[in-house]
Amino acid sequence: MYHFDWPLFFQYIWPPTAFQDPLIRNGLIATIVVSIIAQALGVILGLFVALGKMSKFPLFRVVSEAYIWYFRGTPLLVQMMLLFFGLGVTHLYDFPDLKFGALVITGAIQAGTLALGINEGAYMAEIVRAGIEAVDAGQMEAAKSLGMTYGLAMQRIVLPQAAKVIIPPLGNEFNSMMKTTSLMVVISAGELFYGFEQVNARLFKPFELFIAASLYYLALTTIWSFIQARIEASLGERKGIEHGPSMFERLFSGSSGKGAR
Amino acid sequence: MNTSTPANVKLADSNIIVKAEKVNKHFGSLHVLKDISLEVRKNEVVVIIGPSGSGKSTFLRCINHLEKINSGHIYVNGHMIGYYERNGKLVEDNEKNISRQRAEIGMVFQRFNLFPHLTAIENIMEAPVRVRKAPADQVRVEAERLLARVGLADKRDQYPNQLSGGQQQRVAIARALAMKPSLMLFDEPTSALDPEMIGEVLDVMKELAHEMTMIVVSHEMGFARAAANRIVFVDQGQIVEEATPEEFFRNPREERTRLFLSQILH
Repeated sequence: MYHFDWPLFFQYIWPPTAFQDPLIRNGLIATIVVSIIAQALGVILGLFVALGKMSKFPLFRVVSEAYIWYFRGTPLLVQMMLLFFGLGVTHLYDFPDLKFGALVITGAIQAGTLALGINEGAYMAEIVRAGIEAVDAGQMEAAKSLGMTYGLAMQRIVLPQAAKVIIPPLGNEFNSMMKTTSLMVVISAGELFYGFEQVNARLFKPFELFIAASLYYLALTTIWSFIQARIEASLGERKGIEHGPSMFERLFSGSSGKGAR
Repeated sequence: MNTSTPANVKLADSNIIVKAEKVNKHFGSLHVLKDISLEVRKNEVVVIIGPSGSGKSTFLRCINHLEKINSGHIYVNGHMIGYYERNGKLVEDNEKNISRQRAEIGMVFQRFNLFPHLTAIENIMEAPVRVRKAPADQVRVEAERLLARVGLADKRDQYPNQLSGGQQQRVAIARALAMKPSLMLFDEPTSALDPEMIGEVLDVMKELAHEMTMIVVSHEMGFARAAANRIVFVDQGQIVEEATPEEFFRNPREERTRLFLSQILH
């Protein structure tokens, strides 16, 4: 019978003791920061790709379609390795560490964040497009009839309305993103799971340590779902949209988590 | 800018606001507008009536280039709309010029199309501030005046979904007027309204008819009788008959007009 190492387990799930290990503390910070930056990158890319896909210029449409096709049709894990190791050997870009005083952003973190963001852009493009298409075509017509250009009408009239449709799935994407950052372990980027892996390499307690790691991710996604519910509620109040799923449904309904894609 | 080339400045008579010449439009194999020609003079109120699917709304939407045309010309204030001509062929104008032309033409839609994320006054202020780049304080004063004019001064901070259909349409009229257009287009402005709200919208339009050049696509014969200078009857993509309201209702010349009137006037 396996002897479960309770003291070690508690040491690594209890934040004050766990954070004494810089691998865990910095890893957690990296996971949160990388998730936010990669998601923001994904939203920006997704917006441009969505607009490109709906453009009247065939070139923009083709480029956007190809982008979505490739990045949704190939594994993120492969994209990440390709970007970091593949680009590395070509010396087009070596991903040198960036130093800002005491803060060092390793090349692996840069490459991982970039890969996550570019991959996310392909998924966000479809979400943004669906959001734009959900806005009544009469809105664009009314804006144009008032002398607005397409760009101004998008910015002032269509996108603010599309945002109501985009924000709930965007929240789900971010939830997924926080979990997916763990894939960066393959390029040894110093995020949370890498931290636990390194501790495990030293102590060889994979059962205790990986349960502890999973509980950190569970805490992150749970806290996020509370924040998400708040955001959606305030959105609903202000603009009269339907209320999203309850906290219970959000946490326990088996909706399609993409996991490692 | 193409609108200043001689080919586009054609109308010596500055009293003509709209001039359409042999406008044709196809939707695929469907020929929806057939050689439509129409002149509208300053301060004239023209009501276009006709059976559904006759092309009357499509024609209206061509006047501010929300629809493309296949041949012919449409001039508003002497400038060709949406196109310039190169070697006798229509070439679509660039977006900037089209937008600039549309800013001079107000449009009111059947389904109001108010911006739901903006309050009544923000709806009205949006285009003068963002398109004309007029100072917001000045625009706000003007917007409040327009809201009062359509009888909705007390609704200035309401969102569209807090307003009735008739109120929304009146805000939409104020929104179009805020750009100080030289021409107003109304695309079946009362068709989506509950019967008890039609009157309040028509009252605003009648008031406006005294001082504005208007083209109105409508089924409201009462409005046509009271406010129109001219009625244009369109059927199957063609102008069948044009007449003053008295002539039109008392003594229609064409058989198709008589048939249509007999179907709707009881």
